[in-house]
Amino acid sequence: MLLFLLASGLTLIFSMMGVLNFAHASFFMLGAYFAYQISQPLGFWPALIGAPILVGLLGAAVERYMLRPVHRFGHVAELLFTFGLAFVIEEVVQMVWGKVPVPYDVPESMNVTAFAWQGLDYSAYRLFMLVIPVGIFIALFFGLTRTRIGLIIRASLTHPHMVAALGHDVPKVFMWTFGVGCALAGIAGVIGGNVLGTEPGMAIQLGPIVFVIIVVGGLGSLGGALIASLFIGILNNMAISYDFSLYPIFENLGVERDVEGILADLVNLTTGSIAPLLPYLLLVLMLIFRPRGLFGMRDV
Amino acid sequence: MNPAIDFRGVHKSFGPTEVIRGVDLAIRPGEIHAVIGPNGAGKSTLFNLVTGRYHVNRGRIALNGEDITNRAPHDISRKGLSRSFQVTNIFHRMSVYENVRCATLWNLGYRYKFWQSVGRKRDLKERTEEVLAQTGLSSRRAVPAGLLSYSDQRALEIAITIAGRANVVLLDEPTSGMSSAETEQAVALIRDISATRTMVIVEHDMGVVFDLADTISVLVYGKVIATGTPAEIRANAKVQEAYLGTEVTY
Amino acid sequence: MMPDSRVLSIGGLIVAILIMLPMIISSSFALSVMNQIGIAIIFALAFNMLLGQGGMLSFGHAVYFGLAGFVTAHVINGMHADAFPYIPVTLIPLVGGIAGLFFGIVIGFVSTRRAGTAFAMISLGFAELATGLTLIIVFFFGGEEGVQTDRWVREEWFGITYGPDIQVYYLIAAWCVIAAISMYALTRTPFGRMSNAVRDNPERAQFIGYNTHRLRWLAFALSSFFAGLAGALHAVNVEHVGFETVGLGQSAVILIMVYIGGTGHFAGPILGAILITLLNAYLSDVSPAWYLYLGLIFVLIVMFAPGGLAGLVMMHEPIRHAAPRLLWRMAPAYGAAFGTSLVGLTGAVGLIEMIYFLSTTVSLDSTFVLYGIALDTADIWPWLVCAALGASGGYGCKLSYPRVAEAYSTAMHEARAMVAS
Repeated sequence: MLLFLLASGLTLIFSMMGVLNFAHASFFMLGAYFAYQISQPLGFWPALIGAPILVGLLGAAVERYMLRPVHRFGHVAELLFTFGLAFVIEEVVQMVWGKVPVPYDVPESMNVTAFAWQGLDYSAYRLFMLVIPVGIFIALFFGLTRTRIGLIIRASLTHPHMVAALGHDVPKVFMWTFGVGCALAGIAGVIGGNVLGTEPGMAIQLGPIVFVIIVVGGLGSLGGALIASLFIGILNNMAISYDFSLYPIFENLGVERDVEGILADLVNLTTGSIAPLLPYLLLVLMLIFRPRGLFGMRDV
Repeated sequence: MNPAIDFRGVHKSFGPTEVIRGVDLAIRPGEIHAVIGPNGAGKSTLFNLVTGRYHVNRGRIALNGEDITNRAPHDISRKGLSRSFQVTNIFHRMSVYENVRCATLWNLGYRYKFWQSVGRKRDLKERTEEVLAQTGLSSRRAVPAGLLSYSDQRALEIAITIAGRANVVLLDEPTSGMSSAETEQAVALIRDISATRTMVIVEHDMGVVFDLADTISVLVYGKVIATGTPAEIRANAKVQEAYLGTEVTY
Repeated sequence: MMPDSRVLSIGGLIVAILIMLPMIISSSFALSVMNQIGIAIIFALAFNMLLGQGGMLSFGHAVYFGLAGFVTAHVINGMHADAFPYIPVTLIPLVGGIAGLFFGIVIGFVSTRRAGTAFAMISLGFAELATGLTLIIVFFFGGEEGVQTDRWVREEWFGITYGPDIQVYYLIAAWCVIAAISMYALTRTPFGRMSNAVRDNPERAQFIGYNTHRLRWLAFALSSFFAGLAGALHAVNVEHVGFETVGLGQSAVILIMVYIGGTGHFAGPILGAILITLLNAYLSDVSPAWYLYLGLIFVLIVMFAPGGLAGLVMMHEPIRHAAPRLLWRMAPAYGAAFGTSLVGLTGAVGLIEMIYFLSTTVSLDSTFVLYGIALDTADIWPWLVCAALGASGGYGCKLSYPRVAEAYSTAMHEARAMVAS
């Protein structure tokens, strides 16, 4: 569900502005670090509110002062800028907080078992991690479809010039959308950082997967992002937990089990070992055959 | 004798909106054929259908007798059809000379060759100079195309269109945005290049249309309501109605 | 395509310098840096065939560099084991080139069906797939340890064995010159010209008879050939190929080099490759903040100088062409801007270095040596001084940079007037 938070922010930004924000996972990372920093003196709950706001403001500032001038150089330049930004953020994080993971932990109040199911204990915090993204999805859905500002945002998605001609301040809408998108990533960082570990490499670990999700789910589609993130999350978990061996495929082709050389590697493959590859395979196939994604409304 | 371009029952819709609602039109080889009509009639769409930029929903388009319906733009272009664009569509980072030279490459057989240098090829040089002279751009050959004046860019637009020796040329509003002096020059150029080619021109400037065209077709709401010589069209009641509205009689 | 005499004499000078360089600078560290530079130049030029000339941004070009490296390592090992027919190591880069070409043709066919952001994403996907595969197929890729090789196979002509580093230097230098000349020649072919056309206006390229997919595919394949060439030289130079050579990190480095050097001119990637490799070799030991500086420079170039350093230099070419003395007139404004920037940077770099020191050091001693001066970071005054330098430099830049813009446009104006008259 963390993936959904990240994907929803990214798809919002991409659909609105056509910018694929390479630094999106970096804002996720900043969310976790800010939360850590705030929670040290003040505790978890103020961090939950404060960190995403900080990240959102930072995102809005980046859009206003840095991304906007680059916009006129084209999409390639925007992509390169966000790429450079991701690089710089990672280095700054290392500079300020060091390379070692910081001790950002789950708050004591939630570190209790809520219930047990199928022999596994589910802590209250896990439940919390599930509830928050769902709540946000519902809020986003209603916000975009039922409110006036949501209507303006959706219109700016496909017809920014027309919306500007109607008198709305489109650049401001863009700025706040970028900010909100980053804030969503920040929330994911706040609630996920203490479980996954808060360290400078967390952006690079999660970043590419988020791209896969929004491409597979389809651009411009929040629902698609939700379904794709669920799908990829489940796929990943199943591939690892069930860990099927791929040997039966080879057995049918008449290959022996104890071969040498390259076949040895292939024969011993399990779904667990190829699990990290599956999302990227999906990404490549989707982009080649159906760039619109599953539910998307426009091509990449 | 096959028509240069033959539209048979062509329909095109964008979503629920049908823009071209059944066009039957034959362009005779060697003529200058103007297509006029109110805004939104579908003139540019017609061009886009012929050149392969859009696909038809129904119907057939033939070029010199050969069916080109829904073929890829580069295929159609190789068969001798070329078009200019209403919004200047040039290679803005390359010089004027380079722009024209690129347009000559395929026709002169250079394809994708990566083992020959273009600088040494005499036929490329001669053809490029020829086109530059014809369009009056010789003195600006080294200027990056993006830095040209508007009318020079329009001239370059036409130069790129004719450089590949296409025998059927579509011009999309060639004089749009021009002063009357520039328009006169453009008309002279168009008449010049029409000597050996079939031309189809979309235009709003009626002066240009009646000056240049051998045949005029009037497109209204996706259908051709009249085709004929300029005199015939001028006298045609349906055309007058389309442009001016019906007379109110009490 | 005989170049004129001026180009030939510059070329001759460059070749002469390349030949004499290792005799002048003979430390073994410097030699290994020069080898790295040579390889980087080939890789960067190959990458720019895609980015600068073809308009395609790829995050996965290291896949061809790395795969070719692995293939080359295995071929050499095969020769050692007599399992593979002998090819002189002098010619082994061609093997890498062919490997790169093969993968480039296969992967390029599907990748180039899309353009722009989709193409970039596909390249990212393949980069991640390749990285994943290198860790799974241990037989070919050696898993986390990679593949070792030994470049000394047999004695070749003139007693060359490629055992000593200096022989490898001449191998790399020779191939670098050959590759650079070839890639330059490619830009002057019908393919090269149309590649530029597709970059500028893919739609119009179609309307003049060209299949844009074919053009992009061809550019991709040729570019992968040269990337593979570089990869083979890398395998020979370092005698080891690891999983990181195919990955995002390696692709990112080359992207940064090419972009900072400048994508719009042929020499841009060469400039970027030399500069970044040198800085990386000599600065990464001096300061832990080196990658941060690199990232910041990259972002600044994207924001303010998208033509890269080569672009900045070439912006002044029309002025120099018209009248070099105009350049001298610009000197005061440029000098002032340089001065204020220097002041500001001194302060900013000082702050960054001190922050790094504080966050990474484990000793109790808070003394830090900055610019050769020992400072006590627990004190407030080093921080104040650096902050003051940074602020005043920044304010000075705010005043001096517009002057530079003014001086430039005045000079350009005069230059144009001179040319027109």
